Amino acid sequence: MIKKTDKLDILKNADSPEPSKTRRAQNLEAAMLAFDKEQQEQLKQKNKNFQGNGLVRRLMSIFNFSKRTFIMDMRIPLGGVAIIGLVLLPLALMYNSSTSLTGLNSPLGQPVQENKDMQLSENLTKEKPAKLEGRTRSENDGAIALDSAAPVAESEVSEAAVSNPAVQMTSKIAQRPEPLGRIAPTSVMVNEQSGDRFSSEDESSLFITAQTPVSTFSIDVDTASYTYVRSQLENGLMPNLNAVRIEEMVNYFSYGYQAPTSANVPFMQSVEVYPTPWNEATKLLHIGIKGFTPELSERPKSNLVLLIDTSGSMNAPDKLPLLKRSFSLLLNQLDENDTISIVAYAGSAGVVLEPTKASEKRKILRSLERLSAGGSTAGGQGIELAYELADEAKSDGSNNRVILATDGDFNVGISSPDALKGFIEKKRDDGISLSVLGFGTGNYNDELMQALAQNGNGNAFYIDSFLEAKKVLSEEVLGTLMTIAKDVKIQVEFNPLTVAEYRLVGYETRALKREDFNNDKVDAGDIGAGHSVTAIYEITPVGSSAISVDALRYQNEKPVVDNGNKQEYAFLKLRYKLPNEDKSKLIEVPIRVDAAKDNIADISPEFRFGASVAAFAQKLRGSNYADNMSYDDIEALARGSKGEDRFGYRAEFISLVDIANSLSK
Amino acid sequence: MIKNPTLKSKDETEQALNDKELGDAELVDAAVGGNRAAFAILLERHYMLIYKIAYQWLGHQSDAEDVTQEVCLKLAKVLKSFDGRAKFSSWLYRIVLNVVRDMQRSRVRQNKRHIALKDITQANFPANQEEATTYSQMWQAVRKLPQKQCDAVLLVYGQELNHFEVAQIMDVKESTVSWYVMEAKKSLKGLL
Repeated sequence: MIKKTDKLDILKNADSPEPSKTRRAQNLEAAMLAFDKEQQEQLKQKNKNFQGNGLVRRLMSIFNFSKRTFIMDMRIPLGGVAIIGLVLLPLALMYNSSTSLTGLNSPLGQPVQENKDMQLSENLTKEKPAKLEGRTRSENDGAIALDSAAPVAESEVSEAAVSNPAVQMTSKIAQRPEPLGRIAPTSVMVNEQSGDRFSSEDESSLFITAQTPVSTFSIDVDTASYTYVRSQLENGLMPNLNAVRIEEMVNYFSYGYQAPTSANVPFMQSVEVYPTPWNEATKLLHIGIKGFTPELSERPKSNLVLLIDTSGSMNAPDKLPLLKRSFSLLLNQLDENDTISIVAYAGSAGVVLEPTKASEKRKILRSLERLSAGGSTAGGQGIELAYELADEAKSDGSNNRVILATDGDFNVGISSPDALKGFIEKKRDDGISLSVLGFGTGNYNDELMQALAQNGNGNAFYIDSFLEAKKVLSEEVLGTLMTIAKDVKIQVEFNPLTVAEYRLVGYETRALKREDFNNDKVDAGDIGAGHSVTAIYEITPVGSSAISVDALRYQNEKPVVDNGNKQEYAFLKLRYKLPNEDKSKLIEVPIRVDAAKDNIADISPEFRFGASVAAFAQKLRGSNYADNMSYDDIEALARGSKGEDRFGYRAEFISLVDIANSLSK
Repeated sequence: MIKNPTLKSKDETEQALNDKELGDAELVDAAVGGNRAAFAILLERHYMLIYKIAYQWLGHQSDAEDVTQEVCLKLAKVLKSFDGRAKFSSWLYRIVLNVVRDMQRSRVRQNKRHIALKDITQANFPANQEEATTYSQMWQAVRKLPQKQCDAVLLVYGQELNHFEVAQIMDVKESTVSWYVMEAKKSLKGLL
């Protein structure tokens, strides 16, 4: 009757998200309390009917006996001694994990917990007699008192909760998250409690064109910073200044720059010069690069090794469970030409799945499903194993890649971080690249993740939600998995006759030496299929009131040779290598003064939106340059350049500006 | 009446419980007889099943977890009414489905509040997002079917039960189950 080809069969493939462990413990606990209550009522009933009946006494003894066995058997962790500890703590944990998807140490939990404190205080006063009763009873009862504190606590809970259903009630009240707005903190809170680590970088400084006419940097297509900042803001926290990397925030968005039409030219560059939205006296030189998007069918075979962190710290709804579902998205994008292997690391590293054709979805999903978090992290070993598997399944012309998914707490097995980077670098030269997917907050080690991805010719993403996973692993999967140009470097030579000072917005970690530009041995960032990359300079034209460095009094500066070229602001040079080549190609474009727009409204919204993101990122970083622009102005600029915004990413950005605005007031 | 618990000696019970030798029916008997450990094992054993059923029907994690809690609490009360005629899991299905219905009914009443919360929860609950992407059309369509058809389709396809088991759970004849499924397929024609 049911045919095998039944379309309804897809219903059984849908797997449910992992239920919350906290909820599970809580639900089981609640059920046990209900069970006790039910038993007590039954006993009361029986006692009424058969007073002195031997059976009842026997049952009671069983009841008491098994209560203790239960504690020993199930090993339910009972840390708190008082009922507040037992009831409130899980609530606070659950609130955090179920609503905000942040780490457990988010300060957001506090105001909420206080609310609950108030709700509970009434109940607590009622509970006191019961609690005292419980304690006295257990103190008198030698057998129980000899046991550790746990059974005492247990008996208190059951006594109190059974006699006061309000405790259970409260747990229900707390299950619904309150709208964020209502609990938004009144003052700016910066997440200082979390163990997330970021390296601190000073803001790119201002250069005097006459002294330093050339600026060189490597492109960066990472987007992790934006996602991290977003998750912090959505939780009502101003992000750590060092977590804000301007170029990653700007490059998070896809811009509709002019795209190349053939695969021979891997990318196209577009340049606009227009008035700076945060400074009337300067201009922005905005370089947009758009990568070529090949047809899906032209995608090279992928040989992917998923290296999954299953350490204890991954045990949060926004970590391992999200990771599992994220990979099932990725799987949907692959076919029988691709191979997938899975390696897990935690305590000891192990191969979870030998190289398997990506079309064997159920097999792959099943091995993913089997993973569970526990143990400590020894990532180095796992990496070695992952690269071994990648080597094993490697074939010519295919995209060989290790995808490391972790919350970043990386206990490096290969002696030191430097040795690990060296290892990854060596493997990169053997044709295996590394992508890093960061999950969760709490002990996210941003610096190491960045370093690993950059050394591995790879990219780093921070996945904080299923939507983000969808962006990285489904919509933009080609860009994530397929490199169309590698070692892309940008060098801009400014014309001292037209530009007095300039400053690169962001890219602090990506600066290169001038001589590195032509050195093909120096590694730089890669561009994935369809990626757009943005770099923005703020330039101060000669004669502008914004020139901040005065001329010297006692000596003449290096004289500027007036070659009469006042038609150009700068000369843009781009170097890149095709994925399989070692020799770089060069693109050169002059940036003409007369092409500059006088009004920001005259440029395409794609550029304007990028400028608004740059302004926002600088403001979050506490930049000295973009301070004049208010959050309202940024929002207005972004709103006016939202464009089609098919997936709603830009709308989301606007709401982030709004949150930051209210947090900073 | 309290059934006579199948407990032998304390030690034996403990041993048996630890080994998880006992079948569902025996555990139910012991639990109804007041054995706390038996009840705990029974819950542990079926927790995922309860949650998964609830999730398939509701398609929303926190709702599913609410239902799971409700079912766990309810089991403490109604366990004694399990008479062993059907499989325990089949009996459990029925309880879960009832709680799901209750929840859906109260949802309609609380609809206003629900909508107010929707904007916030959407970004925060991955389940919602997933629903929007994976198989969403099919799922949404199935969940909108008339109740009996929806139950039949989800039990047959979502839970991969055979028509006989489904008939037991739904307390109807096997042929009725087949009829529900056929009707459902007719309504879903556009999607199939």
